[in-house]
Amino acid sequence: MLAQDIMDTRFRTLQPRDTIAAAVRAFHEVSREQGKKIFGLMVTDAADHLVGMLSIYDILLFMQPKHVHIWGEMEDMDFEKLFNDLLKRVKDVPVEDIMTTDVVTISPTTHLMIISDIMIKKHIRRLPVIAAEQVLGIVYVSDVFHHLLHRFQ
Amino acid sequence: MPTHRKPGVLTGLSVSQAMRRQVVRQPAETTIGEGIRKLVKFKSNALLVTGSNDRPRGVVTKTDLMGAYYATLPLSAALGDIMAGPPLSCFRDDGLETCLDAMQSNGIHQLYVLGAEIHAVIGVVDYGDVLGLLYRYCRSCSKGRHASRLTEHASPENRLHVKDVMTPSVEACPRGTPLTGIMEILSAKGFGAVLIEDDANLPQGVISKSDLMHAYRRNTDTTAPADSIMGRPVLSCGAGALLADAIQQMLVLDIQRLFVHDPDLDHIVGVLSLSNAARFRSGTCRACRSSRLITP
Repeated sequence: MLAQDIMDTRFRTLQPRDTIAAAVRAFHEVSREQGKKIFGLMVTDAADHLVGMLSIYDILLFMQPKHVHIWGEMEDMDFEKLFNDLLKRVKDVPVEDIMTTDVVTISPTTHLMIISDIMIKKHIRRLPVIAAEQVLGIVYVSDVFHHLLHRFQ
Repeated sequence: MPTHRKPGVLTGLSVSQAMRRQVVRQPAETTIGEGIRKLVKFKSNALLVTGSNDRPRGVVTKTDLMGAYYATLPLSAALGDIMAGPPLSCFRDDGLETCLDAMQSNGIHQLYVLGAEIHAVIGVVDYGDVLGLLYRYCRSCSKGRHASRLTEHASPENRLHVKDVMTPSVEACPRGTPLTGIMEILSAKGFGAVLIEDDANLPQGVISKSDLMHAYRRNTDTTAPADSIMGRPVLSCGAGALLADAIQQMLVLDIQRLFVHDPDLDHIVGVLSLSNAARFRSGTCRACRSSRLITP
């Protein structure tokens, strides 16, 4: 069983200059379209080459204030206002500033067991499938697991 | 020769209490463009540059990046070409006062924390981290502003104000000043930011080393006018504002400095930076400076 057999070819990508606000909207729309929670999207350039991956973790990490550990001790602060101010500050930051650029990819002929091994050892939940520098699809950890389930049955 | 050091609020506190474990590190061959991206992503002020076997070789700060931008080095140049080394370091059990001395005497803003294993960097401590720790102590102190709001324990005149700690001079430039001119001023004066004024000498914006770093990454021409990249609005506080409130504002907003205005909001009279406040080595009221007592 190879990557090309289980990859999802319905994927949407972000552009490097998209803003964080646009990326969050894209996460919401893609999740709705695909009927499952999507936690990571590929980022491609004008030539459709993969240049990075943006996960919700990247966004949450960037939104976290540097001294957030002190916030917990500030019971008298207006957190709602602070949070709204924070959202305003980060919403226009481009995706290229916070995406992960050292993306692990696989080829269409990578075997399921290799895919599983990469995901476990590198703590990766999604792997882009690349051939001739073009993105063909993406394999999610849930797809790998559900495929294994079918094989067991 | 034995030396005597007056006890301060930070006496007895160690690096381990203030340091953060996340160290942004990159191999020496990483491009400057990617290095800037990492600094932005992790909101860090410096990159630890590593060599073979992940050994620390040097540091790239925003000042180094500003120098590279001024020299119009391509973004594809390697971090190893502009780093300063070796990185200055301390141990987790070192006293915070000693570390502040080292930062101040070497003119740097962070020290890397070494672990038990040779060359193992386990954390980093900077002025903001020290100030964050100090702020937490002040908030839990019975003489602090937070407690006094509830108990009226300490009198207002005991409070330290921004004017007691700020740097009472600000460098300002017209909005048409080319970025090269801004960089020359920052470099010559050792400031972290320049105020940008309009023709009527009213503050319009700020250019910090972070703004220049962003401009560098976006390939902005170094002859572009200051107002093309300046940050707005000018975040400021009154000279008579309480130091505790100003520190809180800087920590909450993740900013390095606040400009200080007099009663006329448009008249900037100084600047309060994280390093100003950390170097002050006191809490936010005179109780710490007079009695040297603090109740965590």
